[in-house]
Amino acid sequence: MMSSDSALIALESVSKRYGSRTVVDDVSFTVARGEIVGFLGPNGAGKTTTLRMIAGFTAPTSGRVRVAGHDMATENVEAARCIGYLPERPPLYDVLDVSAYLRFVARAKRIERRAIAGELDRVITACRLEAVTRREIFKLSKGYRQRVGLAQALLGAPEVLLLDEPTAGLDPGQIQEAREVIRAFGDDHAVLFSTHILAEVTLICRRVAIIHHGRLLAMDSPTGLLRALEETHRVCLEVSGPADGVRDELLSVKGVIAVDVHRLRDGEEMVAADCRVEAESGVEAAIARAITRRWDLHRLERQQPTLENIFLRYVSAQTNDA
Amino acid sequence: MSGTLAVYGKELASYFRSAIAYYVVAVFLLGTGYFFLYNVFLTGETTMAGTFQNMGILLTTLVPVISMRLFSVEYSAGTAELLLTLPLQPWEIVAGKYLGAVTILVLMTAATVVDLVPLYLFGTPETTTILAGYIGFVLLGMACLAIGLLFSTLTHNQIVAALITAAVLLGFWFVGHLQTFQQSGTLRELFGYLSFSRHFVDFIQGLVRTEAVAFYLIVAAIALTLSTNYLKWRR
Repeated sequence: MMSSDSALIALESVSKRYGSRTVVDDVSFTVARGEIVGFLGPNGAGKTTTLRMIAGFTAPTSGRVRVAGHDMATENVEAARCIGYLPERPPLYDVLDVSAYLRFVARAKRIERRAIAGELDRVITACRLEAVTRREIFKLSKGYRQRVGLAQALLGAPEVLLLDEPTAGLDPGQIQEAREVIRAFGDDHAVLFSTHILAEVTLICRRVAIIHHGRLLAMDSPTGLLRALEETHRVCLEVSGPADGVRDELLSVKGVIAVDVHRLRDGEEMVAADCRVEAESGVEAAIARAITRRWDLHRLERQQPTLENIFLRYVSAQTNDA
Repeated sequence: MSGTLAVYGKELASYFRSAIAYYVVAVFLLGTGYFFLYNVFLTGETTMAGTFQNMGILLTTLVPVISMRLFSVEYSAGTAELLLTLPLQPWEIVAGKYLGAVTILVLMTAATVVDLVPLYLFGTPETTTILAGYIGFVLLGMACLAIGLLFSTLTHNQIVAALITAAVLLGFWFVGHLQTFQQSGTLRELFGYLSFSRHFVDFIQGLVRTEAVAFYLIVAAIALTLSTNYLKWRR
């Protein structure tokens, strides 16, 4: 981890508690200029609260947040000048038209009056809003609303861009465009964006912060994340057969990496096997063929990788390290 | 200051692009028009005194409609997350919103000038008394709006904000009546001092007393300061 002095975003032992409920628990990480960091976690993991603390919307119960060298506790207005923030729900004034809305945000961000028109053109082009600049926001589709939210965050080319699920509500083409905007912006700024879409972080991030139940489980590379993903491909089956024989047979199947076999009920020959398999499809068919040649197969199920399983893998890795 | 102007501009745009400003001004003009006709044509007095008195009570019911949305709607629509994370000091946000609401107040007050046309056509009213009444009305409105803004910062629910504001404003309007039931001279004096209507009566009678001007301004300043501090604290 880099020094927190040179980082544009630095969290030091940040916690947020509401009464007895801890939403964010002792989280520390940094994001440097030129870095795009994905903030990955299931719903309710603490992503939004962490982003809100970095944006200055809410203060941490303990710990310190610094943005571009400014302490959010004492210099939040100075820090806010360096931040572009898109909350989970795009913060739009429905009665305003897109142009009036963006002009308000530009003025509030203290962009020089003579530079506002050019800046509006830049973000309108980047977010493909040309067709709706005069339309009232309440008339816009969900995709356009999300893009207007992204456009306001980009105004003034802030050093730090915080995006809470920026591609939610966009169609596949718009998702691709939004990713391009984020990627281009990340070249010389610090970008932290939250998501629960695995593909998103592996496609555009240099690092991934993995958060679960308010705790930062790991800062990993997309490669590390993909490795974790591989490890969550599993096939579960129930077979009438001897445990050792079933284990050996399963291990002989191409694509099976590891096998855990246990007897289901005492006195019966029924065993349950949990196989870690390679990501390629077809492994389950090979397993079924191998087993049914010798024994009765009662159940076979391929488990798709889920975020929950990936988090469990990081949790167990952390437990093993401890 | 530029932050205040940005918020002020957004507030005015929001008022005039939605129905709120037109609704409030229309209801206020209908109300004042009725009171004016009643007070002037039925009593035959060419003064605005009775009309101003009624305008004051009407104001306590219309101010909550203007003020309830100031912050409550920002919380419920999620725009507070933008507003409170922009590089704006809390006082700039409060000032911008307050000035926007005061502008609506001034516009609806200015629209009642139409009532003066028949007054001057058919009588000889005292211009200074009328001017004092208008000054008092705007000051009263400024104090009421600041109180409404304070309650709007405290809740996500616009209806709750409006109801509490209306209750508090009516309390301030009628608190003077409690004087009658008090033995203690201090309490009698306090209730009299806190009464919005007692101070307003001075203006209606043509007196612009420093004490009355200061009273409304101090009430507004206290409410705005509390709102600003609440915004700082809620982080």
